[in-house]
Amino acid sequence: MTQLKDLLSVLENVANNPAQVINKCLEEKRLMIGCAPEYCPEEIVYAAGMLPVGLWGGSTSIKNANLYFPAFACSLVQTTLELGMRGVYDRLAGIIVPAHCDHLKCFGQDWKVAVPQVRFIPLAHPINRKLEAAVEYLKSEYFRIKSVLEEIGGKPISDQALSEAIEIYNDHRKTLREFTTIARDYCTTITPSLRHNVIKSGYFMDKLEHTQLVNSLIRELKKAPPEEWQGKKVILTGIMAEPNEILDMFEDYGLAVAADDLAQESRQFRTDVPQGKDPLEGLARYWSCMEGCSLLYDPQKNRRFMLKTMAEESRADGVVACIMKFCEMEEFDYPIYKKTLEEAKIPLLYLELDLVTPSLEQVRTRIQSFAEMISRKR
Amino acid sequence: MITAGVDIGSTSSKVVVLEEGEKILSKVIIPVGAGSSGPARAFEQSIREVNLSREDIKRVIATGYGRNTFTGADQQITEITCHARGVYELVPGVKTIIDIGGQDAKAIGIGKGGTVSNFIMNDKCAAGTGRFLEVMSRILEINIEDLADLAASAKNEISISNTCTVFAESEVISQLSTGTAREDVAAGIVQSVVGRVAGLVKRIGVQSEVVMTGGVCLNWMIIKVMEKELDVPVIASPMAQLTGALGAALLAFESAS
Repeated sequence: MTQLKDLLSVLENVANNPAQVINKCLEEKRLMIGCAPEYCPEEIVYAAGMLPVGLWGGSTSIKNANLYFPAFACSLVQTTLELGMRGVYDRLAGIIVPAHCDHLKCFGQDWKVAVPQVRFIPLAHPINRKLEAAVEYLKSEYFRIKSVLEEIGGKPISDQALSEAIEIYNDHRKTLREFTTIARDYCTTITPSLRHNVIKSGYFMDKLEHTQLVNSLIRELKKAPPEEWQGKKVILTGIMAEPNEILDMFEDYGLAVAADDLAQESRQFRTDVPQGKDPLEGLARYWSCMEGCSLLYDPQKNRRFMLKTMAEESRADGVVACIMKFCEMEEFDYPIYKKTLEEAKIPLLYLELDLVTPSLEQVRTRIQSFAEMISRKR
Repeated sequence: MITAGVDIGSTSSKVVVLEEGEKILSKVIIPVGAGSSGPARAFEQSIREVNLSREDIKRVIATGYGRNTFTGADQQITEITCHARGVYELVPGVKTIIDIGGQDAKAIGIGKGGTVSNFIMNDKCAAGTGRFLEVMSRILEINIEDLADLAASAKNEISISNTCTVFAESEVISQLSTGTAREDVAAGIVQSVVGRVAGLVKRIGVQSEVVMTGGVCLNWMIIKVMEKELDVPVIASPMAQLTGALGAALLAFESAS
């Protein structure tokens, strides 16, 4: 039990205090590259011997970023730019910024001017991602990023290093999949907040080390029998379930997380990168293989069925849509999966989230009401 | 057994004291809400009126925006669940509740036995809330209670933005400064609130019977325009802004029994 608590404490500490890990990296003279949301080819960074660091904004007030962004830009890009302008990311050797949505497109362009001290590395994914031409195009994008990283690192990145990085990352993905499956049987120990922190800590650690820690955590959890859970279980869907207080509210009202469909969490690790002779092609093909995200072009809108199946298989009592305020990509998907879930009689809560609003009482009322609703259902 | 429900809203505090889950012993409204002395004063007054002390009350449930700060409660339940229970007691055939409070608006779908089957709340903006009506009444230099009568005498209702209270306030001042009749502006204000809230209700699906609760349901023009907008009859809750406190007192009785 002590070992379990220690492991959780280590991972939680990393998630809440990434600066400590970053400082260790600096002491080891390892270069770090920021990876903006939501999908960056971290494996190329890792193969270059650098540490990919996930940048997912944070709870802070906006003082500088509104020089560049209107009030209706999502708080994820606003707070990331704000922190960048305050010099929080000055130790990074560069930042990869994908252009998944209009806000991220502006974010990358703004970064170039607002935070010139941290090199901007743009990335444009193909929209028609199922075409072979899309794979070819994305491979050329990754080749360009590889060249930039080689220039920054001052050494070439070999195919062998890339293949090894892909293997390490796929192993990490498999481990996190196992963790999220096991976690639903230990809802008392693995609270929504702890579950989130275990996953989030991986954005600031070497994936090898994170995989080892999470594997140890899984082993420790399995030593005890599955826990009986008196509360209800929900699926989280959306970009992310922050600020942190939100998940504490879930715990306050007896809600556990059965599974998630969050861009910051399971969407990152539910699909493996295809392995083959050409590692860059594998990474490019990965974009074609992913499914069920609002940022992925999907004319069939399969996310609605994925959510329904996820809720049924994990025996969840409801789905919570964690909608980042002003995220039109998620808002476009919402009515589509809402209809499917309503037809399946799966309760759905629309939760509008914002990283820059200090008062969360309206969110509390929504979460508590939803918990009461699914608990009292006759 | 005596139970009590304390509904602490953003603009008022309401208390209902109930005997055996049936007989209302007292009901009190004090027009100040969360963060004020209102909740404690309302509770004190409600038990003093019937010569009771806190010890005589088996269970107290607090609801509303300030529910978590009221120290005299045994349990906190949201106003969504409490309004559902309260309305179900008063209008058993209820399927949809529209609750327009001081700072937010909610549409609540009702399932079997008065349980909540679905709900939706407005965004953080005060448009479509009681606060919006307060602000607009101040500009029109009338009491909020007189808004309905003024709106009823409109001849050429104007259109006012229903997306933002601040912009709507500018619009109203602009209309008045160009000589638009006050009654036409008042009708535009009512339509603005109804348009905003009806949008919420349609998102959860309109099912009769539709009941409106909260202080705003005392505005008969809002009810009338809402009926037109939703194309179904809308009933004002017989206990208006006390409905949530009644629901809380009933839930207190049921959980204590």
